[in-house]
Amino acid sequence: MSLRLTLAEIESYLRKAARARGLHWGIAEEAGKAARWLGAFDLPGPETLLAHLQQINGEDYPNWIPDCSREPWQAPGGLLCPIITGAALADRSAQMLDGKVFHLAATAYPLLLAATVGQAARCHRQVFTTAWADVRVSCFENGLSIEGNRDDLLLARVAGVSCQRDDLTEPRQLPSTLAYRIDSELFRRIDELALQTYAPATAESRAGAGAGLTDND
Amino acid sequence: MIDCAQQNPMPEAAAYRRPPEVVMRLARMGSFHQTRLSFMRSLLRRLKREHWTFKRGLWEIGDDGFGRAVYTVYGPERAYSLVAFSHDLPDHMRSDRVIATAWDATFALYDGVPDTADLDRLEQNVPKQEAGRISDSELSLARANRSVRLWQHVIDALAAGRQPDREQLEAVGYLVRTTAVYGSGKFGAADRLTIAERPEVSAPFQAELLSVWLIRAFALDLVEHIAAARGGAQAVAIEPELRRRIGVGNSTGLGMAPFLINHPALLNNWMMAREEAIARVRSLEHAEPAAIEDFKRHFEHARFNVSQWHSEHPIQIEKLQALTADLEKMADYMQRESLADDHPWDRFYRWAEQHLSLEGQEQLVSLLLEPYGELVDDLTQCMDADEHLSFFIDGSMPLTRLREILESQCQWALSVDYDDPANCARFWYTSAEKLEPRVGERFDEPGAEYELPLAVGRDMQRMYTTLAAAPDDMSTAEFVLAHPEYRHTVRRVQNLAKHPYAEIQDNLIAADMLPIDILRCKLSFFGATKFDPRSDRWVRICMFQDAPFPHELLASAS
Repeated sequence: MSLRLTLAEIESYLRKAARARGLHWGIAEEAGKAARWLGAFDLPGPETLLAHLQQINGEDYPNWIPDCSREPWQAPGGLLCPIITGAALADRSAQMLDGKVFHLAATAYPLLLAATVGQAARCHRQVFTTAWADVRVSCFENGLSIEGNRDDLLLARVAGVSCQRDDLTEPRQLPSTLAYRIDSELFRRIDELALQTYAPATAESRAGAGAGLTDND
Repeated sequence: MIDCAQQNPMPEAAAYRRPPEVVMRLARMGSFHQTRLSFMRSLLRRLKREHWTFKRGLWEIGDDGFGRAVYTVYGPERAYSLVAFSHDLPDHMRSDRVIATAWDATFALYDGVPDTADLDRLEQNVPKQEAGRISDSELSLARANRSVRLWQHVIDALAAGRQPDREQLEAVGYLVRTTAVYGSGKFGAADRLTIAERPEVSAPFQAELLSVWLIRAFALDLVEHIAAARGGAQAVAIEPELRRRIGVGNSTGLGMAPFLINHPALLNNWMMAREEAIARVRSLEHAEPAAIEDFKRHFEHARFNVSQWHSEHPIQIEKLQALTADLEKMADYMQRESLADDHPWDRFYRWAEQHLSLEGQEQLVSLLLEPYGELVDDLTQCMDADEHLSFFIDGSMPLTRLREILESQCQWALSVDYDDPANCARFWYTSAEKLEPRVGERFDEPGAEYELPLAVGRDMQRMYTTLAAAPDDMSTAEFVLAHPEYRHTVRRVQNLAKHPYAEIQDNLIAADMLPIDILRCKLSFFGATKFDPRSDRWVRICMFQDAPFPHELLASAS
């Protein structure tokens, strides 16, 4: 069984799911965008993010973030969070425009990192390429290209990642606005997480929201 | 400062622009009136300008008024169809609340012209609304309930061969109230990307408002149809002039309030366009006689509208009394002062700031734009936003600059004592029951741990305090990595540097904050009239009252 999700729904559900795992709203927003961006190209952004969220918790935040004073960047806990680290790279995208190449040590789900950095590509109208194992993912303002071994795209952890500005001119793949199909069971788990960000209804909330007057007028 | 900066043929207007600290206050935003830049009006102007055509392509409605219908408008490149379903709804199930599960009528806006298979698919899903699923062939999903008293009165009168009572009709102003009109990407509908490159629907809420305009036509056709079935040969249709007095109602609660807070760049562009329009008119040295006549005509219409505008809510009753008095003062002013020379509109506006309530000042603002379509209508092209650009964080920004933006543009946030319970009395959250935003009482209700990031001012102040302790040579990138709790707020603060009208400059969690002010601001940009608060967080409005119907504005499609 599968279910069709719109891109807006992907972003909204995954942002909330990330928040439910204890990430702050600002980072959760990056997570939602990354999942949506991948979904737009029919890449398994929502599924990959769900898998990552199941292993991360906001309370462990310090263990997952890069120590940027070291080269390559590495996480105190041994594995970099691709969303937090991708956001940190996007924040430093001006340095990449100046030619700096960032190197990362062990990283979880690097596809999510490429997509998070990709948000900066869209703003700068530049190309940023993230490479790991035998695959390179380049994000353009309006598309992406994947070179190398596609089997490496979905690796759950890799020993090293590099990220830099690139000079490619044409994306190979443009976003598809067609339906993104997701396995119903995986969606159920995402929805379950998203639901944890909602407050259970109380008598006060029900009473407070409406007009409290008849609508048969 | 405005996203489409090329639309700036009058640089001299900048000196007349009202600053954000004057405009972005809830009390003023909650006094906004529709203007000629409002989205309903720009939609109808486009349909007319581009010679769109119209056809009621399907009418499968029984004598009882139940069934389905399709209304299609054809543009230069594409067609859009309202698919309408009319249902038999028992009175006890009629609720405008978002938690309702059945309605008098349900609708989808189809991208193109639907075939029978599409209609059958939609008939399986649209009547269920949120519990159904639509597809990327649909751009909007909506539902409406009847105004029971007016609905029955109109049918009874028409069936008996009489026109409905004008007074009763104008007191309500609509036959149906929409209780939700969903757009982009909701419940399976096409993502906004699908329409982002289509000039006819890329401006804000065009697909949703096109739906509402066609819903109005459907509601009128439906009462005439039922009256004809009941009255037979003696039944009559509504006279065109009276017919136009019927708009579409809308009943709106907290669900739409966070929108303006969640879309700061968009809010900025709406406000900038509106403020730029006012500034352009105020900067004029003279007014031509034709413009003055046009202004006076709209002034009289505004006076009439206020006489027709009723509310039972104490806040709005008071505001309407003030507005009525303001209009009399304005009439005196127009007798006394020249509207022709010496920057007449600027003088008028500055007088209004001194002598009128906020309702009156904002009424004048709307009226000032009316004679000057050629001068201001192009600004509607600036009311969209590339929100992606404002998502980006410039990590290279020094913290001193971040502090500087807060100090120069966010005093409204920094000056509040958030330890005072009255200043942090509320919290915004999403209700698990209906997945809709709500406002809770922090000290009386459980659930504050579910707070949404809508306490903008408080979070800015907290960040400012944290920034004070951060080393000066730290970059924004380093700061947000060390303090992920401020990543959302940093985005907003950086955005303010380029979008000065992006933030509501009031405390959104204060005990005395009125959510209806946020609703009214948004609805005024839609083009709504007759704001009638039913509580401090719930408002009824009227849409498209006095607007032409599709068969009046557009030629028939063959």
